[in-house]
Amino acid sequence: MNPQSLISSFHPANNPDTLASHERAEIDASTRFPVLLFFASAIFWLLIGSLLGLISAWKMTHPGLFDQMAWLTFGRLRPAHLNTVIYGWASAAGIGVGVWLMARLCRVPLLHSKLLISAAIFWNLGVLVGVMGILAGDSRSIEWLEFPGYATPILFIAYAFIGIWAIIMFRFRRPGHVYVSQWYLFAAFLWFPWLYATANILLVWQPIQGSAQGAVNWWFAHNVLGLWFTPIGLASAYYMIPKVIGRPIHSYYLSILGFWSLALFYSWNGMHHLIGGPFPAWMVSASVVASIMMFIPVVTVAINHHMTMRGHFGALKWSPTLRFTVFGAMTYTVVSLQGSSMAIPSLNTLTHFTDYTIGHAHLGLYGFFSMMMFGAMYYIVPRLTGWEWPSANAIRWHFWLVAVGILLMVVSLSIGGILQGLAQFDPQVSFRSSLDYATPFRWIRGLSGFLLLGGHVVFAALFTLMLLKVGRQKEGPALFAAPVKPEAAPL
Amino acid sequence: MIAGYLLLIGGLIFLSGSALAAFYWAVKDGQLENLPEASLVIFDDDEPVGTATDRFPSSQ
Repeated sequence: MNPQSLISSFHPANNPDTLASHERAEIDASTRFPVLLFFASAIFWLLIGSLLGLISAWKMTHPGLFDQMAWLTFGRLRPAHLNTVIYGWASAAGIGVGVWLMARLCRVPLLHSKLLISAAIFWNLGVLVGVMGILAGDSRSIEWLEFPGYATPILFIAYAFIGIWAIIMFRFRRPGHVYVSQWYLFAAFLWFPWLYATANILLVWQPIQGSAQGAVNWWFAHNVLGLWFTPIGLASAYYMIPKVIGRPIHSYYLSILGFWSLALFYSWNGMHHLIGGPFPAWMVSASVVASIMMFIPVVTVAINHHMTMRGHFGALKWSPTLRFTVFGAMTYTVVSLQGSSMAIPSLNTLTHFTDYTIGHAHLGLYGFFSMMMFGAMYYIVPRLTGWEWPSANAIRWHFWLVAVGILLMVVSLSIGGILQGLAQFDPQVSFRSSLDYATPFRWIRGLSGFLLLGGHVVFAALFTLMLLKVGRQKEGPALFAAPVKPEAAPL
Repeated sequence: MIAGYLLLIGGLIFLSGSALAAFYWAVKDGQLENLPEASLVIFDDDEPVGTATDRFPSSQ
C-alpha cells in the first residue's frame, strides 16, 4: 500500500465504496478470518485456564498436590489461572464478538483486517509470554496485573491496534443511527488501552509509592470488569436478544440512559475493594456511593432485557444463542446487585477475605460474561463458516454442564464464605480454624470445576468440527438468510 | 514519577474530554431523538421485526 492510499484510507470521503449498500452476509464474511482467529485462540486459552483453575481449586483441599514442582505451586498457579482466563479467554472472545458486532452495526465490510490479525498475533504472544513468565516465577504479585513487565508491552500493542481499528470502522460506518451496542463497544475499545497503559505506568514503569499502589491496583482491576467486560457483554445482549426473537428492545430510551449512567458511575467503583484499608475515608466513601448508584444502569438493563423477552421465554427452548445470552443477562442483574451490596461496609466486613468474594468474581466473569460470549459465538460462528453446528445435543450438554457447574460453584463458595466470615467475627475461633468452615464447600467447588472443564471440552470439540466442516452441510434455520459461501478457507 | 503523573492527568483530561465531546456530538447529531424508531436499525428487509434468527440445529 503506497503512502497516499494509506492516508486516504483514513477518511471516508476518499473511499467511494464505503457508502454503497452491502449485504449483511457479505459483511459477516469479511470478518471471518480475524474473528475466527480470536475465537479459536480464546477457546484454546479457556481450556488451559480451566485446567489451571481446577488444579488451583483442588490445592485448597489438598495442599500437598504437585508440591514437588515449583511451577505448579499455588502462588504461581492461581495468578496463571486468573490471567489466562482474563486475557487469554475472556478478552480475546470479547474482541472477536466486538469486531463482528462493530462490522455489522457500522454496516460496512471489515476494513484493515491485517490490523486485527496482527493484533491477534501480538495478543496471543503476550498471553503466552505472560503465563510462562508467571509459571517461571516472574509474577508481579499485583492482582490482575501479574504478567511480568516484559509481557505487558506486547499486549498493549494489540490493544492499541484494536483501538485504532475501532476508530477507523466508526469513521467509515454507514450514516444513520448509532445503535446502543456500538456505544458500548466503542467505549470499551477506547477505554481499555488507556486503563491498561495507566495502570502499567503507575505500577511498573514509574511505580508510585506506598498504599497508593493499592488504589491504582483496584481502580484498574474493577475497571477491567466495568469498562471492558461489562460493555462488551451488554453490547452483545443488546444485539442478540432483540435480533434472535425478532423484536426491538423494550425501551430504547432506558438503554441509552443505562449506557451513560454506566459511563458515569462505574469508573468510581474500584475503591470499594479497600474498605477498612489505609486510605482517606472520602476515597472509599465516594466509591461506596458510586457502587450503590450502579443500581441505575443495572436496573435499566434488567428491565429492558426482561420486558423484551416477555412473552418470548419459549424461545429459550429453540435458540442456543438466546439460552446462553439470557442466562448471562439474568446473572448480570444478580451479580451487579450482589456487588453493590458487598460495597456496603457492614456487609463487606463479613464477606471480605472469604470465599464469598471468589464466588462473586466467578459469577461475574463466568456466569455473566463467559455465558454471553458462548451465546454470541453460537450465533456468529455458523454465519462465518457457512456451516451449521453439528449436534444440538452437544450444545445442550455444553449448556447444562456449565450452567450447573457455575451455579454449584457460586452457591457453595457463598455459603462457605459466609460461614468462614462469621467464624472470623468470633474471637474464640482462630483464623486457622475459621478456614475449616469453608473446607467442605471447597470440595464441592472442586467438583464443579470438572463440570465446567467438561462443558468447555464439548464446546471446543463443537468449534473444531465447525472449523473443519466435518459432516454434511445442513440447510439449518440458524442460517435463515442463505449464507454467502466464503472463499476457499485460509484457515 | 512526575512523568507518570503528567501522563495520568493528561490521559484523564483527554478521556473525560472525549467522552463529553462524544455526548455533545450525539445530542447535536440527533442521535438521541426519535428513539423508538432508532431501535429498529438492527432489522433489515430480509430479517424484519417478527423473524426469529436462531434455532437448535436438530429442530429444523
